[in-house]
Amino acid sequence: MILIPPFLKYAGGDAMTRVWKFIGWILLALFNAFSIWGALFLFQKGFYELSITFFVLIVLIDFFIFNRKSYPFRYMIPAIILLFILVLYPIAFTIKTAFTNYGTGHIMTRQEVVDRLLTDPVYTYVPNDAKEYNYEVFVEFNGIEPTDDFKLIVITPNGDKYIMGEIKSIRVQAGKMLLGEANLKEIDDYNLIKEGDKIIAIVDEDKTYRYFYSPDDIDTAINEVFFKSKIGFPLLSKVEIVDFQGNRLSMRFSEDGTLRLKSIRHLYRLSLSEVVENGKNVVKTVLVNDITNKPLLEENGTFYDFDENGEKKPVMGYISYVGTKNFSQIFTDPTISGPFMKIFLWNFTYAALSVLFTFVIGLSFALVLNNNSLKGRSLYRTLLIIPWAIPAFISVLIWKNGFFNETYGIINKFIVSGLFNKESIQWMTNPFWAKVAVLIVNTWLGFPYMMTVSLGALQSIPDELYEAASIDGASKGQRFWKITFPLLMTTVAPLLIGSFAFNFNNFVNIYLLTSGGPAIPNTSTPAGATDILISYTYKLAFEAGRGQDFGFASAISILIFFIVAGISFVNFRISGSFEEVNR
Amino acid sequence: MKKWLIAILMVVMVFSAFAVKITIWTSEAQAPILTKLADEFKSIYGIEVEVVQVNFGDIKSKFLTAAPAGEGADIIVGAHDWVGELAANGLLEPIPFLPEKEQYLPTPLEAFTYNGKLYGIPYAFDGPALVYNKDYVEEPPKTFDELIELAKQIQDEYEGEVRGLVYDFKNFYFSSFAIFGYGGYVFGEKDGKINVKDIGLANEGAIKGLSLIKRLVDEGILESGDNYNVMDGLFKDGQAAMIINGPWAVPGWREAGIDFGVAPIPDLEPGVHPKPFFGAQGFMVNAKSPNKLYAIEFLTKFIATKDIMYRIYLADPRVPSRKDLLPMVDDVTRAFAEFLGNYGLPMPNVPEMAGVWGAMGDAISKALDQGIPVEQALKEAVDTILAGIK
Repeated sequence: MILIPPFLKYAGGDAMTRVWKFIGWILLALFNAFSIWGALFLFQKGFYELSITFFVLIVLIDFFIFNRKSYPFRYMIPAIILLFILVLYPIAFTIKTAFTNYGTGHIMTRQEVVDRLLTDPVYTYVPNDAKEYNYEVFVEFNGIEPTDDFKLIVITPNGDKYIMGEIKSIRVQAGKMLLGEANLKEIDDYNLIKEGDKIIAIVDEDKTYRYFYSPDDIDTAINEVFFKSKIGFPLLSKVEIVDFQGNRLSMRFSEDGTLRLKSIRHLYRLSLSEVVENGKNVVKTVLVNDITNKPLLEENGTFYDFDENGEKKPVMGYISYVGTKNFSQIFTDPTISGPFMKIFLWNFTYAALSVLFTFVIGLSFALVLNNNSLKGRSLYRTLLIIPWAIPAFISVLIWKNGFFNETYGIINKFIVSGLFNKESIQWMTNPFWAKVAVLIVNTWLGFPYMMTVSLGALQSIPDELYEAASIDGASKGQRFWKITFPLLMTTVAPLLIGSFAFNFNNFVNIYLLTSGGPAIPNTSTPAGATDILISYTYKLAFEAGRGQDFGFASAISILIFFIVAGISFVNFRISGSFEEVNR
Repeated sequence: MKKWLIAILMVVMVFSAFAVKITIWTSEAQAPILTKLADEFKSIYGIEVEVVQVNFGDIKSKFLTAAPAGEGADIIVGAHDWVGELAANGLLEPIPFLPEKEQYLPTPLEAFTYNGKLYGIPYAFDGPALVYNKDYVEEPPKTFDELIELAKQIQDEYEGEVRGLVYDFKNFYFSSFAIFGYGGYVFGEKDGKINVKDIGLANEGAIKGLSLIKRLVDEGILESGDNYNVMDGLFKDGQAAMIINGPWAVPGWREAGIDFGVAPIPDLEPGVHPKPFFGAQGFMVNAKSPNKLYAIEFLTKFIATKDIMYRIYLADPRVPSRKDLLPMVDDVTRAFAEFLGNYGLPMPNVPEMAGVWGAMGDAISKALDQGIPVEQALKEAVDTILAGIK
């Protein structure tokens, strides 16, 4: 017997069902709590679209579960979630990115960049006339253990002493304070215990804070580690202390590794300024450099600052919408539009020939294996599926280094020059042979799939058709072309189109085998003879210029999507004729 | 009612799970020693340091994804040529001070400097030198003429069974020594700042340098099928007399039982020293981390000391970047350190470097495999790089 909690025992009904139901509720509650937390978290981080969709999904799921009428829909929940995560969101994100300059130097939002320029300690400076302030730290003790409850006495260069007041958060990220501010208070507001001139403790609301650390006091050096790790780093380093004149003081590392209190200024400040925009005078907030008093220039999603000589230098970039620039670049930039046709033609040939070769070879093997009188069929089938079973990452590299290496590869060393005594084939450096190599490997990788598919389709063709045909006196060839092939195509044709679309974007094979090479001479583009659109895109977006250009890559992948969709549409139209045969 | 209570409780629990902890992303070579050091640091400072092992190739891309959102490691251990891209994205915190700065070799420090600020603490650096098998080479050649002569002699003597010189010459990284030795450069400098519009990869020096590599091919010393794997395989099998490779491969040679020596890459001409690319490894701090001061403290007060650096060297024997460690390291490491420390050129760490590798690889392949004139191949490469930078 399973022990049942009393409150369930007396609730009536079948106790076990109740237990399961109770567990179900708990799981649902946990799921809801976690999802709401996730949505809030995303919202906090600024992923508003994602967070709203998350909320909508949670509401939908709960609605499906609690509402009796929509009960059947709950079986669709997993599908809806997966559809959203794996299909819709990536598509929406790609489209959104295609209109931005998201990439190296532009990975934060404008708001984040402005926040950082205004508050990050990196963008503060110590002015030339700055004075250094001394400080003394007092902590409360729990028995003999120091705690992180502290008071700070700030000593001005004149020797006046003040106490730091309460810390107010100015900038918070994910529940943590990034920047805080505190005022100075008169020292007389507190009860002080003195030993001569020296303050040894502060009494405040029943708590006694004892003198603990000061950077120049050798006697307290032993407490430096505790001060830094429990008070200095987590709290004080993020606080700016404002004195009565409005000067800002903050903890900064000094040359000897101690934290010193220095008067600082922010390098950038917000200011209202009148600018001309679209022929109208608009008042806009701009960032102003505190040293030069010049406003920052915003151009192409980047803040630029001017140094004393008036020279422009980038400060920080942000993600900005660039309209259709990424798309127009595809057609106007000669490095892209120049080799485009060449690459497109080869891309088309590559995909078409890959499908043709894999299908012909796969079908031939399938026909042989489909013969019932063949002995050891399952053994052959297993062996023939091996190319499919080995990860392409491994087998392509074996082909590249083991077979096609021009000096040491098996083909050149043992067959071409060894057996036939011919000059070695320039597999990787001659454009024609490089294309041959790419096709050989792709055929090798792809035929087991076609074989498996064809084998299944062949087995679904009823034997009676063949019997009837042989009674009518049809030859083997006639039987294949009139019965097998048309019936096969009805099932296989859509798969061939799918295979074409897959090979059209078969990046792995090209990238691992030739990386698109050999280079095409007399051009100044990174295009190579075996580059297909997707590998060329990769080169342009991730291996050229400044490294990563997600916006441009998204634009090209959208274009490639339309190309593949167009070709597939035409193919479906053509292959539709095969289905007529079936009717 | 109960389920809502549970739901609220759950939210509270998740929020309170945050506590101060420094996270380090590092690759497998340094992870064990850093884990040990992290424990020691915790016993002194009371701050927990979590060492997470990430594949070297994934650290930068993971960091680029996580750091902008205020997540990811507080410290990453990586290569100096990430600095430009990461700093341009505002993700790296400058190191405010480095204790005993004068004890570091100048080139690794230079490697981690971007726009005049130090963005990482180098602990090691590596780059190529001439490595020779002592069974075939008694005295390493001093000039390229000597090297060519020696390589031919070995090839003749062993009837092609042993290669005189083999290395991954189509890779710009390994062939850069000749191009820079003669006065080529990647990006020019103006007032201490890199000017990416000034590319010196098609100047007279670069042409001379690539022509020297072409001469090696024309004289039958290098073969068109040579690549890194071929070089590594032949050398470990004792079928290569001389290679150009870096200290990362030393354990492999020792394991293969090769009696090898390390020497400077020979002078291109008498008096003209080769200048190979090298890379430095170091610790970098996440600028958006709320724990960055802890991270800086951990690095400057603890990691960047002589004894800890020596222990890292013992666990992961690469060429240390501190001068005062050089007397304590083995002969092979010291040979690499002396050559690279004197003549090495840090790979530029600006993000614009991304387009250089492919373009120069293409140029080498055009000039050496396809018979395009060296001048034209290099000019096309420079045009390609410039077109990418815009």
